Amino acid sequence: MHWLTDPFQAEFMQRAFIAAIIIGVVAPVVGTWIVLRRMANLGDAMSHGTLAGVGLAYAAGINVLLGAIGAGLLMAVLLLLFSSNRRIGQETVITVLGTAFFAVGVVVISRIDTGVELSHFLFGRLLTVSWGDIWLNLALGGGTVLVVMLLFGELRLATFDHVQAEQVGVHVEMVQAVLVLLLSVVVVISLRAVGTVMSVTLLVTPAATARLLARTLKQMTLIGVFIGVSVGVVGLMISYHLDSAPGATIGLLAAAVFAVVFAATLPRRNKHHHRPLL
Amino acid sequence: MSHSHDGAVLELHDVGVRYGDREALRNVTFSVRAGELIGVIGPNGAGKSTLFKAICGLVNHSGEVDVNGVHCHDRVDRMDVAYIPQRSEADLLFPITVGELVMAGRRRFRSWHQRTTAADRAAAIEALAAVNLSGYEARSLSELSGGQLQRAYIARALTQEASVVLLDEALSGVDQPTTIELFDLFATLSKSGTTFLFATHDLALARHRFDRLIAVNGTIQGDGSPEQVLAPAVLDSTFGSGASSSQGGG
Repeated sequence: MHWLTDPFQAEFMQRAFIAAIIIGVVAPVVGTWIVLRRMANLGDAMSHGTLAGVGLAYAAGINVLLGAIGAGLLMAVLLLLFSSNRRIGQETVITVLGTAFFAVGVVVISRIDTGVELSHFLFGRLLTVSWGDIWLNLALGGGTVLVVMLLFGELRLATFDHVQAEQVGVHVEMVQAVLVLLLSVVVVISLRAVGTVMSVTLLVTPAATARLLARTLKQMTLIGVFIGVSVGVVGLMISYHLDSAPGATIGLLAAAVFAVVFAATLPRRNKHHHRPLL
Repeated sequence: MSHSHDGAVLELHDVGVRYGDREALRNVTFSVRAGELIGVIGPNGAGKSTLFKAICGLVNHSGEVDVNGVHCHDRVDRMDVAYIPQRSEADLLFPITVGELVMAGRRRFRSWHQRTTAADRAAAIEALAAVNLSGYEARSLSELSGGQLQRAYIARALTQEASVVLLDEALSGVDQPTTIELFDLFATLSKSGTTFLFATHDLALARHRFDRLIAVNGTIQGDGSPEQVLAPAVLDSTFGSGASSSQGGG
């Protein structure tokens, strides 16, 4: 029993659990759409790219979260500008932008004396999350969930069949832009807690696991949230007892859950693989 | 072979489409009256899908496309045209129920922030009944056969209440009895003013199911009654020389 309750004794661990729960809810809510739109590559690029904003914010002496938001927004704008170029394709633009922004972050952080190691930005410091971080994440996360709830129908139409969605009056490009913006907000929320690298894990892996189990979008979102919160809380407890890095432990647990569900649902997926014509 | 422009629901004038250096369509001009049931025939790659996408505004085109008298440049939306693409273009494993798919057609009657109403749900149930899918509302798309899936798409077009419905090889994989039932439904709807353009390369279907055919291969090769368009000269220009003999002389 102590194994379960010990981690909650210290206040810094209580804050860490709250931060993990917030990310566990918000990341799959957005991640559902990232997975369905096959934009995991964008999530990866966006999470790495925010390092540029973090590094520059440190250099300028301003809040790193503001820097991360700025980098996310700039990436989103550049992506929307360049992704219409059919000669190189959206995936290529995403990779070029993500690696370029990441490189800027690494160069800036390695050149200035931040007093913080690069690995802290990459993998987060869940145990040093402050109440200020939690309130900010709560506000940003609450806003993100609210926007997804309001746009749920539009997201569904634009994601399933963008051609028909445009025909019935959905502003598909606007929906896409909002989703990219929400993606950058999730990365910002995850930054202090699990870092830029691990944020994409929580964004994609619980939602991808839920995708294997769900029949409807609401099911997929709710299962994703359940998995996100569960791996956040359990992963943090495991990291406490094993004295391992919290962000990486949570990420590893999320991947393990995905692997188990993937294996367990393999027979069912094979059954539906061949669609009868009549 | 010309058609009156009076009461036209759809008018195309000198429409052309290019994909890079390739000219997919050129000099396409025709007019369609409300309630017509038209077959669009042509071989694969002839430009049938491109023609439909130009009508929907999904590809850049030269020339003019008017729907219900509104010029393509002035249309603020495309809600009056329903497009049912070939089934391979949709993600069939998407976690969406048949009811949610069919309800998507009702989006044109509300704003983005408004919820669906009882009238929307009633329209969806009525449309599902019309395509023999009553009781399928809660099923996911992955549980449907290919034919059932196409019928669900047609139900979605019905809930959209579009004045022009474009079906692009939409009955591929649909069994013969259902095809007959759906064409009976199209005929009923066309009598009440809905216009159908149906792309197919099934010439037997084209001969028996449509009052008017438009033959396409890069441009309009023929436009008129099935007897006129399925004549050897038009078939050969549309499908290549010798096509008429392989089709039994048209």
